[in-house]
Amino acid sequence: MIKFEELYSRYSPQVFRVCLGYTNNKDHAQDLVQETFIAVWNGLSGFRNESQIGTWIFRIATNHCLRAAGKSKRMPFAEMPLDLSAPIEESLEEKVSILYRCIGELEESERIIISLELEGLPQAEIANVVGLSNGNVRVKVHRIKDKLAIKLKAYEQFR
Amino acid sequence: MSNLDDMKSLWHTVETDKLPSSTEMLKLIRKFRRHKLRSKWLIIVSCFLLSCLVVSALLIVHFKMITTYAGGTLVVIANLLLAVTNIKSLKRFYHLDDHDNLKFLEFIAKTRENQLHYYQRTMVIIISLSGGGWILYMYELLYHYPVWCIIIYFIMTVYLGIMWFIVRPRAFKKDQEKLNATRENAESILNQLK
Repeated sequence: MIKFEELYSRYSPQVFRVCLGYTNNKDHAQDLVQETFIAVWNGLSGFRNESQIGTWIFRIATNHCLRAAGKSKRMPFAEMPLDLSAPIEESLEEKVSILYRCIGELEESERIIISLELEGLPQAEIANVVGLSNGNVRVKVHRIKDKLAIKLKAYEQFR
Repeated sequence: MSNLDDMKSLWHTVETDKLPSSTEMLKLIRKFRRHKLRSKWLIIVSCFLLSCLVVSALLIVHFKMITTYAGGTLVVIANLLLAVTNIKSLKRFYHLDDHDNLKFLEFIAKTRENQLHYYQRTMVIIISLSGGGWILYMYELLYHYPVWCIIIYFIMTVYLGIMWFIVRPRAFKKDQEKLNATRENAESILNQLK
């Protein structure tokens, strides 16, 4: 029998990052983590091991993200600094913030796929969570990665 | 930062220590579980209780007029219809967490369509059956007391009129925009995945 506490300790940071990738809002992501684990608690006794438990939890989490789609707004670009020529040293926190901001500007389905990819899920598992074929996920990950890289470069250029 | 590995290492540096502990989470769960579906359960239980009450009254008391039995039957049918609609909806919600995103979005789009159908058709049938049923059911009781009959029928007509012409269209208008927006959003994400 799987213990809820163990599942929570293991998966809550991962679920939080995926939800944060989707919403780019820490409070909203925390609410989604709560909703996800309430659903996990309710469904745990009926979990039939047809999929891996991690896949099941990520399905619940991403479905909750999609359900909250109307509420989450894409984050706007930050205002440009006045002196563009001045070299700016980016702290780790700023870099992370830029990454999540750029992810937040992607389309909803892209945000979910890239968040699961960055979280380190195998592409077969991502395909299981999203409901696409493995090949389709591989192509999408490749395209999203390119799109994200362009966004990050553009962002760095304007700093 | 354009390299996937760089992105991955940055991705994992996000602080997660502000998340509630498993003990705090369990407290939250005990507080909120089934909260969302509670109203649906309440409707189902009330419908069954009311149906049992009406059926018992019809079986125990020997009414003389056929209108009472016809009215009682209509009220029971309306209640059962409302209960079945809510049970179907509950069943879908309980199986929702087993679905992948694609099926989930299809479910959301379908549910929103069903909800619009409920307002436009099922609700009309339920209110008509229930309203008509209560009017017929009360007739025998009020037949012997004409003054009370007029007063109670007047109150019932005003109540049904308010529900039908004011509350229902307002609730529908308010929900329709929200439902359409959610459906369109679900369809738009579905298109992204196809």
